[in-house]
Amino acid sequence: MLILSIFLTSCSGVKKLEIFKQEVEREKLNLNTPTPLELENLKWIIITSNNAEEVFKKLEEKGIDPVLWGLTDKDFELLAKNFARIRNQLVVTNNLLDKYKEYYEGDLEKKNEK
Amino acid sequence: MGIRLFLMGIIISAVIGAGAYVLKLQRDNAILKENAVKLESAISEQKTLIENQKRDFAEILEANQKMNELVSVLKKDLEDLDKRFNKKNRDVGKLAIQRPESIERITNGASALATRCIEIASGSPLTEKEKNATKKSEINTECPSIANPKYIPY
Repeated sequence: MLILSIFLTSCSGVKKLEIFKQEVEREKLNLNTPTPLELENLKWIIITSNNAEEVFKKLEEKGIDPVLWGLTDKDFELLAKNFARIRNQLVVTNNLLDKYKEYYEGDLEKKNEK
Repeated sequence: MGIRLFLMGIIISAVIGAGAYVLKLQRDNAILKENAVKLESAISEQKTLIENQKRDFAEILEANQKMNELVSVLKKDLEDLDKRFNKKNRDVGKLAIQRPESIERITNGASALATRCIEIASGSPLTEKEKNATKKSEINTECPSIANPKYIPY
C-alpha cells in the first residue's frame, strides 16, 4: 500500500508550465528620403543712381518689364546671412536624422547579423 | 511472529524511506545544477548587456562630438560670410556704386554657389569636382564645410 502510494504520487500528471518570451523587433519606419532640392539660379542686378536709366533701358530691350524689386546693400547682406542660417539649420537637422537612424537601425543590423 | 513482522515492516519502511530520500537528493541535485547553468547564463547575459551599454554610451558621445564639430564648422562658414561683407571696413554698397558691373558679376557668382549650398544641404550628392576640390580656386566659397570635404583651409 505504502509502495503503491509512493509510486502514484511520483507519477503526477501535472506538468510544469513553461512560458516562452520572444522579443519581436519593431518594424523599421523606412520613410523615403526627401528628394534633394533643385533650385533655379536667379540674377541679381546692381542698380545705382548713375546706371538706373541704362539698366531699365537694357531690360526693355530684352523684353523684360522695366521693374525691379530692390534691396539696400545692408538688407542684401542680411538676406545672404539669413539664407546661410537656413542652410546650416537644414544641414544640422538632416545630420541629426542620419545620426538617429544610424544609432537605432545600425543596432538592428548588428542584431540581424548575429 | 508478531515481532518479526513488526521488525520486517520497520526495515522495509527504512529502505523505502532511504530510497525516497536518495531520489529527492538526486532531484535537488539536478535542480541545483540547472540553477547553476541558469545563473551562469544570466551572468553572461548581464555582461553582454553591460558591454552593449558601454558601446551605446561611446556611440552617443561620438555622435554628440561630431554634431558639435559640424555646428562649429557651419558657424565658421557664417563668420566667413560676414567677413566677406565687412572685412577691413569694406562697404559693399560703395563698391557697387563705383563698380556696379563687377560687383553684379561677383554677386551672381556667389548667389549661384549659395544656391548650390542649399541643394547640398537638402541632400543633393556632391559632384566629383566638389569632392576632389582642395584648392581655394576650386572650392565652393559659400559653404566649403559641406561642399568640399577634402578642402583644408590654409
